[in-house]
Amino acid sequence: MSLAIPIMSHASPIRSFFVWIGGLTLILIVLLGAGLFLTPYGPAEADFLNRLATPSVSHWFGTDHLGRDIATRLLFGTFWSLGLSLMIATIGLVIGTVIGLIAALSGRGGDYALMRLTDSFFAFPELIAAVTVAGLFGPSTLNLVIALSVVSWMKFTRLARSLAVALSECDFVIQARLNGLNRWQILWRHLLPNVIPSLLVLWTNSWSRTILAVSGLSFLGFGVQPPQAEWGAMLLDGKPYMQSAPHVMIFPGIAVLISVLLINLAGDLLRDLLADPR
Amino acid sequence: MLEVDRLCVEINGALLLEDVSFQLARSEMLCVVGESGAGKSTLMKALQGLVPARCQRFHFEPANIDASEAMPQMIGLPETRWVMQDPLAALNPRLSLGRSIAESLHGRGYTKAKLRKAVEKALEEVELDPAFYDRLPGQVSLGQAQRACLARALVAQPQLIIFDEPLSALDAIVQKKVAQRMDALRRETQTAYLVVTHDMGFAAVYADQVLVLQKGRVADYQPRTTFFDSPASPYSASLIEAARSLGALEGTL
Repeated sequence: MSLAIPIMSHASPIRSFFVWIGGLTLILIVLLGAGLFLTPYGPAEADFLNRLATPSVSHWFGTDHLGRDIATRLLFGTFWSLGLSLMIATIGLVIGTVIGLIAALSGRGGDYALMRLTDSFFAFPELIAAVTVAGLFGPSTLNLVIALSVVSWMKFTRLARSLAVALSECDFVIQARLNGLNRWQILWRHLLPNVIPSLLVLWTNSWSRTILAVSGLSFLGFGVQPPQAEWGAMLLDGKPYMQSAPHVMIFPGIAVLISVLLINLAGDLLRDLLADPR
Repeated sequence: MLEVDRLCVEINGALLLEDVSFQLARSEMLCVVGESGAGKSTLMKALQGLVPARCQRFHFEPANIDASEAMPQMIGLPETRWVMQDPLAALNPRLSLGRSIAESLHGRGYTKAKLRKAVEKALEEVELDPAFYDRLPGQVSLGQAQRACLARALVAQPQLIIFDEPLSALDAIVQKKVAQRMDALRRETQTAYLVVTHDMGFAAVYADQVLVLQKGRVADYQPRTTFFDSPASPYSASLIEAARSLGALEGTL
């Protein structure tokens, strides 16, 4: 007799809300791909006779101060704004988790040293640290990635360590120890699978925050440089024309807003899906 | 088989156990009873080597341990297993029951097929379907989870199983079933049981010996057959009286 017990047998209103969010994200991804494929313009294709044009059939979101199609630039900007921040958040996740778990497993001294190191990194405000790196090494995309990665791993370290320490006291870990598993086997079998779900939720949160940081720094001129179509850099391009041609800033702003919102909601969805199977 | 003479546990200057002695023969069941804080958990941890302890003499035949003064570390002894109180806390929620049980055979160099076979046999012994191998702890009832914990202990074919209130998380009917299965397995496999429990009714039915702990000391230690009729200390008399007034001993003696 083998009876598989369905874990999600009923659809609660909240659950279906999250399904909607997931579906919407998928549709956006499809639209993005289709747009990149179908757009007749290039991201850096200037048309000086058609500068700052308002939205129309040929230019859905209008054109910017060089006559470039804003819709096309937004599509290409996805790779910069979402891609770069995803990369940074992932670097933070990996580095942070490794350091956190090492801290949890190493003895009192190693734990103390690693966590004080983490605390000292926490002391630097995220954006100021990034601006400092840009100031020291010059503004570039690589420096942006380095700067934001350097300040993005600590929260993963803290969470991974605290969860791992709490789990180490659990009965099932004591059982594993009594059964003769060594600490790395315990880490792999018992700690990691129970730590990762929470870390993934933090990872989506970190991703959306990094989008804001990447766009913000690019807007300040420290990040992705023109003519690359990063959303924050597009906002910077549109700033001088805010009064006469607001659409140049509005559409990149909406793109940032929607992606941050969707990623946060997707994070909530993830949290529900990965919740403790109990 | 197991002989402990004047076991003491002292942690941070507090004497948690003082001169606790007992003997346990093959396939015997010793019930350790006493109120909270009497040192029952400390006794278990000391036997597992989780807290530092010392005793005059410690003899554990299956592992060929014959020591005096310092308490030997029992951690990882294949001859001893521990069944904990809360089955859901004792099982990794993200590991299938089968893999949790197989962990008990860690380091014995079994092949995958042999491991699976041993685990399925253990599942059968505790009257669980082999299909439970792939279930997660969250997908089974509390009683089934506790049986899986029992299977985890049995699969290693230990000489001694230490139980920490194995029935207290279960409801009355499941308690009875699990208790009967525990007892039957003890006779089949000739395993010695050391059961820490609050349940005087359980002790009255299944125990061979009863050890009463009070404030870290042995208040009473005798065979079950005499314990309930002639308790040696006023404390054990009051324990029996309390259980009797709750009806826990009805039909057991």
